[in-house]
Amino acid sequence: MELNILLQQIFNGISLGGVYALEAVGFGIIFNILKFSNFSHSGVVAISAYFGFFVSRYIYTHFLVTLIITTLAGGLIGVIIEKLIFRPIRLKGAPLTLFLVNSITAAMLVQQFFAATLGDDYYPYPVFMKQTSINIGNLTISKTYTLMLIISGLVLLLLTYVLKRTKVGIALRAASTDIRTPSLMGVNIDFVISVAFFIAGVLGGITGYLLGMTYSVDPFIGSMILKGIIAAIIGGMGSLGGGVIAGLLLGGAECLLIAEIGSSLTQIVIYSGIFVLLLIRPEGIAGKRYIIKA
Amino acid sequence: MIEVNNLTVRYGGVMALDDISLIIPDRKVISIVGANGAGKSTTINAISGMVNITRGGIFLDGKSLHLPPHKIVQKGVVQVPEGRKIFSSITVKENLILGAYQMNDKHRIEENMKKVFEQYPVLEARQNQPGGTLSGGEQQMLAIARALMSEPNHLLLDEPSLGLAPMLVSGIFKMIQDLNKKGLTILLVEQNAQKALSIADFAYVFETGRMVSKGPGKEIAEDPIVKKAYLGIEE
Ligand SMILES: Nc1ncnc2c1ncn2[C@@H]1O[C@H](COP(=O)(O)OP(=O)(O)O)[C@@H](O)[C@H]1O
Ligand SMILES: [Mg+2]
Repeated sequence: MELNILLQQIFNGISLGGVYALEAVGFGIIFNILKFSNFSHSGVVAISAYFGFFVSRYIYTHFLVTLIITTLAGGLIGVIIEKLIFRPIRLKGAPLTLFLVNSITAAMLVQQFFAATLGDDYYPYPVFMKQTSINIGNLTISKTYTLMLIISGLVLLLLTYVLKRTKVGIALRAASTDIRTPSLMGVNIDFVISVAFFIAGVLGGITGYLLGMTYSVDPFIGSMILKGIIAAIIGGMGSLGGGVIAGLLLGGAECLLIAEIGSSLTQIVIYSGIFVLLLIRPEGIAGKRYIIKA
Repeated sequence: MIEVNNLTVRYGGVMALDDISLIIPDRKVISIVGANGAGKSTTINAISGMVNITRGGIFLDGKSLHLPPHKIVQKGVVQVPEGRKIFSSITVKENLILGAYQMNDKHRIEENMKKVFEQYPVLEARQNQPGGTLSGGEQQMLAIARALMSEPNHLLLDEPSLGLAPMLVSGIFKMIQDLNKKGLTILLVEQNAQKALSIADFAYVFETGRMVSKGPGKEIAEDPIVKKAYLGIEE
């Protein structure tokens, strides 16, 4: 591979990895606090992808404005899903398996809904930019990928600030080791859980928008978060930082492999590689041993 | 003043508390003693709103305390839980910040933090360490300090001496007495009955969910029948 193509692929890979990182964190933040694998995250991504499409196509064609609207919508959808399908069973003290089942059911429901209503067409986002790439020397860099990287980076920085510096962020981290005790400090845990779903939803909203913008929207777009879920697991469940690193690595590896061996073979290599990696290092990159219950 | 009236708590089929009544007057140290499983933690958790009450009521200055846990903290009734329950992965300082979760005045939170650090210098030295790295005694200190961050008027302590080296136990009881002298009302739940009774103004003895005796701490401590039957203390 020529050097400039190699560099381009690495750049694209890291940008895509940035989106995987968003997915990993959106998935991981719910796992951390409620200890179940929240597959309904793919539903948030899918709804947001369609939402972003309709808003930017028919209401107001402006990248940043529609991205922000879609992001907030994603947060809202996250909270609504929590209130509708998780909170009721949480108050009943249901076992974790039930949360897992509800999350998968919600994901399927969203997928089937879009397949039934909008499944016959595919929906490309409007073209926001006159030029699709920038040239730096003899490197050609895609504007979409550049935006993906910048946005993912900014969002993850902002999230770090929220988790480290705000009271509700500290409560969220505390609740990840012990969900009962924060109440004794005057923390309204119900609210903290809503905040967690809002944050996850916001991340899902951005993910849906960026994926939709890059690949166009179909009913199965939500299943693209599988890579993010894998990143979360490779990163070490419970470690958001590990998920981010794993996401970036996964994106990088994927793009390099695609350039080298083509896209269909790449997926096979990556999924097989994950088996091997987890066999060697079951605790993931971050190295903390967490018991994954569901 | 906290009043517990005819409190009954069941966990599924298990009767944890059976028709318990007690009074915690302002500025006193009240103690509940009894063996493991007597219902001491259940009583404290009922006051904190952490368990569902089957029957009976709990009142703070005549008003029902039937509220969600975080609202009870707002009323100045704060629990230091059994086993300390320090958040192990966040720092000592963050543990303290959580203690003041209900307060919005940043300046006052800083002030309280300063006071806590003056009182317990070891916490200041370790403020940026994860809570889980503290020793047992330091964790108990942090658990109490964390509760104090919200400026409570009632402190509910669940087995503060549990698992501590004998040397540290006296320190913890001294700390509790000092807090009481500063005006805090204290409910002290202990298996370490003799120590607790020695500082209690009034005490209740529990056995498997029932109250079997009550009286001034020193009298209970001297009662040979209570000692032998319920506190496991032989002469
Ligand atoms: N969450 C729970 N579920 C079921 N039973 C419980 C629970 N917590 C306590 N119990 C039971 O209630 C009784 C009283 O327990 P507890 O209040 O913890 O006693 P103590 O604090 O005096 O040791 C015991 O029989 C205990 O096994
Ligand atoms: Mg107990």
